[in-house]
Amino acid sequence: MAKEKKHPAGITDAQKAGTKTRMGIEPFKPKKEVRLLPGYLLCGIWILFTFVVVAWVICASFLDSREIFDASMMRSFLHRLTTFNLKFDNYVKAWNTQKVSVFFLNSLIYTLISCVTIILVSAPAAYVLSRFRFRGNGLIQNLISAALGVPAIMIIMPLFGLVTSLRMTNNPVTIVFLYIAMHVPFTTFFLLAFFKNLSPTFEEAAAMDGCTPIGTFWRIMFPLAQPGIITVSIFNFITVWNEYFMSMIFANKTQVRPVAVGLYNMIQSMRYTGDWGGMFASVVIVFAPTFLLYIFLSEKIIAGVTGGAIKG
Amino acid sequence: MRKIKLLPIALAAMLLLGACNSKTAKETTSAESNAETVETTSAETNAEPAETNAESSGDLGTLEEGASLVYWTMWNEAEPQGAVIAEAAKAFEDKTGVHVEVNFNGRDIRKTLEPALDAGENIDLFDEDVDRVINSWGNYLLPLDEYAAAEYDDTDGKAYRDVVSKALIDLAEQMGEEKGLADGGKLHHIPYQPFIFTMMYNKDLFDKAGITSAPANWEEFLDVCAKLKESGVAPITVDDAYMAALFGYTLDRIVGSDKCREIVENLDFSDPGVLEACQLWEKMAKEGYLSSKAATNVWPAGQVDEFAKNEAAMYLNGTWLPNEIKEQTENFRWGSFAWPAINAAGDGTEANNYGGQSFGINKNTKYPNAAFAFIRFMTIGEYDQKLAEESMGVPMGVTSVWPEQLEEAKAVFEGSSKRLGWAVGMEDNSDVNAAIKDGFAKLVTGEYDGQKFADALADLK
Amino acid sequence: MKRKNTRMIVTFLAPVIILYAMVFLYPVARTAIMSLFKVEMVSQPVSEWKFYGIGNYIDLFQTNLFLVSMKNILKILLIGGLIVLSMALIFAIILTSGIRMKRFARSVIYLPNVISAVAMGTMWLNYIYNEEYGLFNNVVTGLGGKSIPWTGPGSLFWSMLIAYGFGMVGYHMLIFISGIEQIGRDFYEAAEIEGANVFQQFLYITLPMLKGVMRSNVVIWTVAVAGFFVWGQLFSPVNLSYDTVTPVNYMYELVFGASSSASTARNAGMGASIGVIMALMVIIVSALSTLITRHDDVEL
Repeated sequence: MAKEKKHPAGITDAQKAGTKTRMGIEPFKPKKEVRLLPGYLLCGIWILFTFVVVAWVICASFLDSREIFDASMMRSFLHRLTTFNLKFDNYVKAWNTQKVSVFFLNSLIYTLISCVTIILVSAPAAYVLSRFRFRGNGLIQNLISAALGVPAIMIIMPLFGLVTSLRMTNNPVTIVFLYIAMHVPFTTFFLLAFFKNLSPTFEEAAAMDGCTPIGTFWRIMFPLAQPGIITVSIFNFITVWNEYFMSMIFANKTQVRPVAVGLYNMIQSMRYTGDWGGMFASVVIVFAPTFLLYIFLSEKIIAGVTGGAIKG
Repeated sequence: MRKIKLLPIALAAMLLLGACNSKTAKETTSAESNAETVETTSAETNAEPAETNAESSGDLGTLEEGASLVYWTMWNEAEPQGAVIAEAAKAFEDKTGVHVEVNFNGRDIRKTLEPALDAGENIDLFDEDVDRVINSWGNYLLPLDEYAAAEYDDTDGKAYRDVVSKALIDLAEQMGEEKGLADGGKLHHIPYQPFIFTMMYNKDLFDKAGITSAPANWEEFLDVCAKLKESGVAPITVDDAYMAALFGYTLDRIVGSDKCREIVENLDFSDPGVLEACQLWEKMAKEGYLSSKAATNVWPAGQVDEFAKNEAAMYLNGTWLPNEIKEQTENFRWGSFAWPAINAAGDGTEANNYGGQSFGINKNTKYPNAAFAFIRFMTIGEYDQKLAEESMGVPMGVTSVWPEQLEEAKAVFEGSSKRLGWAVGMEDNSDVNAAIKDGFAKLVTGEYDGQKFADALADLK
Repeated sequence: MKRKNTRMIVTFLAPVIILYAMVFLYPVARTAIMSLFKVEMVSQPVSEWKFYGIGNYIDLFQTNLFLVSMKNILKILLIGGLIVLSMALIFAIILTSGIRMKRFARSVIYLPNVISAVAMGTMWLNYIYNEEYGLFNNVVTGLGGKSIPWTGPGSLFWSMLIAYGFGMVGYHMLIFISGIEQIGRDFYEAAEIEGANVFQQFLYITLPMLKGVMRSNVVIWTVAVAGFFVWGQLFSPVNLSYDTVTPVNYMYELVFGASSSASTARNAGMGASIGVIMALMVIIVSALSTLITRHDDVEL
């Protein structure tokens, strides 16, 4: 099986130790690399493909609509690039007339508030569920998993009726509340698994030092869970940022609209008017933040996951 | 401890109770607004004697004190129609002092409007497709018979309905009558941005193929197709958005529109006319008269990839098409003709699908006169013309000029004495629509022949 | 001590439970109940609901379009799930086996998941799958083959699935990676000392340790598939097609109306039934996967 050639974490180190003694300080990289060649190939193709696709979108965003979807698209792009004639107009139009700036600000506020609140609500619950045995613990955990499986539209229907009768449609409070509520189950679920893996020695030590259980949580366990919290927060950030189904229903007035709905609307209207250049410019504007964020924060994730505090 | 545990349960219980009570809450709010409307209308009748008096001038034209409107539109701000509406709203305010708050919903209005109206949200007027406004939202509409029959400052001494497209006002009235609403009125919505669905073609490609005039009957049509094919372009193209309409039109020319309606309503495609239609398209596909890309075209590929690039010559589509592909085309010469008759049993070129968007006024509005004034502002005169120009669409006002791209479409429009429904009813049922799309595409790829296609449709029963 | 614990437990759990009741229990209960009634508009008051028993469900299973959507979603769930999760696992293993530029690879593979589905879908449909100048056909013809009609009837479904899967592999890969990296190195060192080869180590250490993570991934995949909607809409932007219709697409139409103004039928009751069916699908998969992995939970 091809999997023989891939080594699980740690093996390489042991091998390192083994071969080192045999070969001394000899660089064993070639041998290792060859074994990993299929892996490199697969990753390489995948990554190349991703680059091509993303590059295409970015190129398209600088072109005139007529030049996209054409065999000579690349030529048009290079021509524009070399003659400094890239159509920045697309971006300007998207940002100003399409009010992307408004959507952007909205999304930023909604997403940040949601992510923070989600953690504040889920982490304590996850901790309690993972550590303490009490009646209803199993039931609650099952209920939470069950919540994960509920398709959004099943929840939307009655909530929509309720919200409209309370006249709270197109109210930012409503939509932020919904974002939080919709992501709490997943976050709790995720952090639960994470907390389960933390050693109980910490609590014992804290208790011996006279720390209250609540204090133990906030001062010791919560910080220890940082890697997991960061990972799940990033997932949440991206999901809330790209969320448009509920936003479309509950926050569709221009002033309250978040970026994903805005993008969808822009794409729809641009489909009707055939302004593909503008559409792709909007796309780039919308995905740029999550992309950049991810690049910067991915370091944190890695540091967190491979952090040493996990082992007891 | 126990108290704290009870709290969530109590909250949940309150919520459930609250949910049950929301019904009564809704009833009270709508009852209140109904009472308001009754008061306003009776106030109006008291102020002006007998509205049945044909000479009542300008009473319906007097704008209410302190009026301000909330207008929900189906357009997006990015669309040309949206831009014109935004401009018009400002101009209207400058002219009359009535502030119009425009909410650009985009097509989502289809799902957000009704619940909003139910919840008593303050919406004075809204627009959408002419079918949808009356069929989905008829119960929310203010009857407009009197408004349309009255004269106003801006109608030049004529009744409103005489200065706008007769065909469309008649259509709206007919639809209102068919709907049979509780208030007994007929006209409930005012159409605008009319369209007609007919064969749109590329004049340059016709010239290149040596075609001198649009086909008037089926033989000429096939001849045109042959010439186009010889000149190296696909005669006809279509994509998944319009396949049902293409099939529907064909079926209509074979068995007539009443039969079409029957077939879809009863889901009974066993009629021999269906087989004939299927085999007709099988032949068209085999002869190469239908673009082979039709099988893989996902909207808007048909118009953007093929038609706009001069690779296909004809497209059965709506008069919105020039506007939709204006960014992809330069100096495109547009022509239109009506789909020719095929059988004696079916309809001929006088039967076409036409319609438009339309304005509806919320029957609970506090400012009906102001709302109607805005509608007049949009459908006659400067802004009607502007809307037509910016969106390359059909104007509503009788004195407004049709865009040059739609000159020939105008002839088709004026020659249409019979109105077909959208896609001749083939899209009334999603199952039918999906089956037609699937079968049609397979016909093009060769997976189906005419018989198989007809069988697949017959299986819907 | 016990009292303090109880207070803490309750305080910590209260917000989650309240939110849960408001945003899950109440709507789910109401939707489930609505599925037993003939209801036209979702905002109709309860007094206008007419009892219909399981009539909605029967109607659904007699509707061709719904049956097609169920077939589609099952294909996505099972075939798609198998392919995507396998790919994710493979990548996770590759990335944790010490290749260079692991961070870079990880970021790039996850990237598609970060980009809005609307954007990705449009790109796939209009560029990659374009029959004439699309990327895929360029490669195919470059290698000497014939152009494939990616968006034709029948193939559109698989194209959609591939596009969707591509964006999901990175997500599941990350979850697998975090699971693999939590496996202590001592296990591998001990096994190495005992003389186990690489393959054995994978089979007897990595795989069992990943059972919990595997279960999470399966459940997450199922939940995402149950809500499969955007992609169906992107690949058939105007109205429903056999290739791209999924239960939620159909439900959306039933509850909010079709895009064609000609069909004005609305059936919220039937829509609610679809919601119930989807929820059941998730519950079944979740229960099955828990059952399978329960006994093998390894304590670290």
